[in-house]
Amino acid sequence: MSASPDSTHAALFGDENTLSTEAHPGATPSISSDVSENDTARCSHIASVFADPSAKAGITDKYRTVVAWYAQRTHDALHPAKRRKISSPTCNTCDQTLSRPFVCLHCSFAGCWLEGHILNHLTEAGHAFSADVKSGSVFCSECDDFIFDDTIDDLYLATVVSVEERNTKFQVADRGREPYQPWVLSEEESEALKDAITVPCQGRRGLLNLGQTCFLNVILQSFIHNPLLRNYFLSDRHNSRLCKHSDCTCCEMDNLFTEIYSPTNTPYGPTSFLATTWKVSAEMSGYAQQDAHEFFIAALNQIHGTCRGSTNISCNCIIHQTFAGQFQSDVTCEKCGNVTSTIDPMLDISLELRTKSGEAAGDNTLASCLRRYTKAEKLGAREYSCSKCTKASHEAVKRLSIRRLPPVLSFQFKRFEHKTSGKAAPQKIDAPIRIPVTINMAPYTTLAMSMTGKDAEAGVPGPDAMYEYDLFAVINHEGQMDNGHYTNFARFQDEWYRFDDDKYALDCLPLPYDLTFGRVTPSTLGDCLASNAYMCFYVKRHLDYKPYMKPTYRLARENDIVREQAMEREKEAARMKEVEDTLMAMV
Amino acid sequence: MSKSEIDTLYAEVQRRMIENGEWDRILHLLSSKLSESGWTDELLHRAKDNSGTMDPLSLRAILQQLLSHAQTTVPLPVKREITILIKQFVKEQFDK
Repeated sequence: MSASPDSTHAALFGDENTLSTEAHPGATPSISSDVSENDTARCSHIASVFADPSAKAGITDKYRTVVAWYAQRTHDALHPAKRRKISSPTCNTCDQTLSRPFVCLHCSFAGCWLEGHILNHLTEAGHAFSADVKSGSVFCSECDDFIFDDTIDDLYLATVVSVEERNTKFQVADRGREPYQPWVLSEEESEALKDAITVPCQGRRGLLNLGQTCFLNVILQSFIHNPLLRNYFLSDRHNSRLCKHSDCTCCEMDNLFTEIYSPTNTPYGPTSFLATTWKVSAEMSGYAQQDAHEFFIAALNQIHGTCRGSTNISCNCIIHQTFAGQFQSDVTCEKCGNVTSTIDPMLDISLELRTKSGEAAGDNTLASCLRRYTKAEKLGAREYSCSKCTKASHEAVKRLSIRRLPPVLSFQFKRFEHKTSGKAAPQKIDAPIRIPVTINMAPYTTLAMSMTGKDAEAGVPGPDAMYEYDLFAVINHEGQMDNGHYTNFARFQDEWYRFDDDKYALDCLPLPYDLTFGRVTPSTLGDCLASNAYMCFYVKRHLDYKPYMKPTYRLARENDIVREQAMEREKEAARMKEVEDTLMAMV
Repeated sequence: MSKSEIDTLYAEVQRRMIENGEWDRILHLLSSKLSESGWTDELLHRAKDNSGTMDPLSLRAILQQLLSHAQTTVPLPVKREITILIKQFVKEQFDK
């Protein structure tokens, strides 16, 4: 599968050797390094230019330079270190300062898109290619359209990531980020892969409902479409055939991925996963409908527990690497200004849908829920006593923020209220929530909230990509708490699918709102995503790696292997001794 | 003010805003507000819909089709907020 280290983008959008979208049982295509050779959708003009190494270098060097320049320039504008002018080219035709430069990849011309200046230049000068420096999109004048080319796409990503790496202020032990390196096959690896059967890098199967188990199915689908979990299990990090645990949920995950990526696409019944869950978590057993979120947390704990090298403190297992973040709670004493900070670990974020006083909030978006979550709130007089003032009860203000963002952000919307008075049955809050396809988490971080005045102008330490997340799964719940049904949406690359137990279909993520004349009204679609969304999952757009470190689970595995070998030797020695003793006794 | 005077003024304001970095900062804010309002996702949805039935498929054609819709569906509250920021900048610049 993908190389390590790898960026989420490449993991989400596949590498250039992606095969067809359908599973082909029995097909044995070879790994071609230039699959796009036969792709008729590829622009033939750029293909012929790239066939000549020096011509290719001319184009790619220029491309890389302008993309890097613009990425750095944007970063500088958003994080102004000093008062300095941002470099701003002007259009070669109309002299206006370019807000969105399009550059010619053959000469030094830069021009406006909307007014057609760049296109006129391409025609007049007989130049073929121009690039939008912001998105990296390349326009071919011969094709008279933007083109898609793998080399360009890879180059864009590599350049942008490289700029991000240089601009990452966060450091570990005085070292910056480890630079991304693409996977280049070694001799050994080429040899090993020569006769390998390739499988499509996407797998999709419906999950059979085993009796009110839709809660299980939706969570499993969210795991299956989770790029970090997928990569871990597909790269054989927990081989169920070698694992010696019994009732091992990690093995169940391994089996699940094996089934999903097998050549069949008939629905799969996760019976052993369910059975193991029952054995390990008695409270989840029985055929009654369970809460998907409860199962989610239970499953995470189970997988963590059965992962090799997992620890109780600062664990580095795949679950913690994927989901673990940190909250910070700051309590400020209003009298003396003393701030007490508490840091807590978290695997997900549960968001209230109602304000403190119990009313429904006006504007329900994920961002507004997060703002509510991180809002400063007054603590009652008796709830807090300041350690500095040593006075018993006075006013304090508490504020939550996210101290560390995990690679995968899981949100739960608290739709089920357990009312202590009145009705015994918990009420479901049906308030629609708009969930964006991407979200920037910077405003909710501890760092952003601690910045005041001059600091705030420089913005949170960059790069911005560290805070950008993309939605990949949504879990919906219809009906009431006791007799409801779970379904989910999940994404592969840029295609969304809707799953309903064993059935699934290509689908658009339905929009909850119609934007008509600036008014916001609920969608008329029967299947309204907004009112049903119960949980949703986002993945960080570009992963960032701690420099030059080996994950503890790998170290643990290496130590385990050494220990096992030593134990084997001891056992062998003991056996030999037994044989000797028996022989001696006979004499 | 004549049209050419307005054009000159516009070009000057734009130049200063870009060189100052304020253009990028306002654009960043605008992006996040448009995303929160669902405008960005709606546009993506529409682009996917259009591209589904388009033959031959052309990104340029999609851009042309979407441009006016994109401009007219910017939510009013967002428009107002951003306009205020732009006005503030212009005022600061020409007070000096």
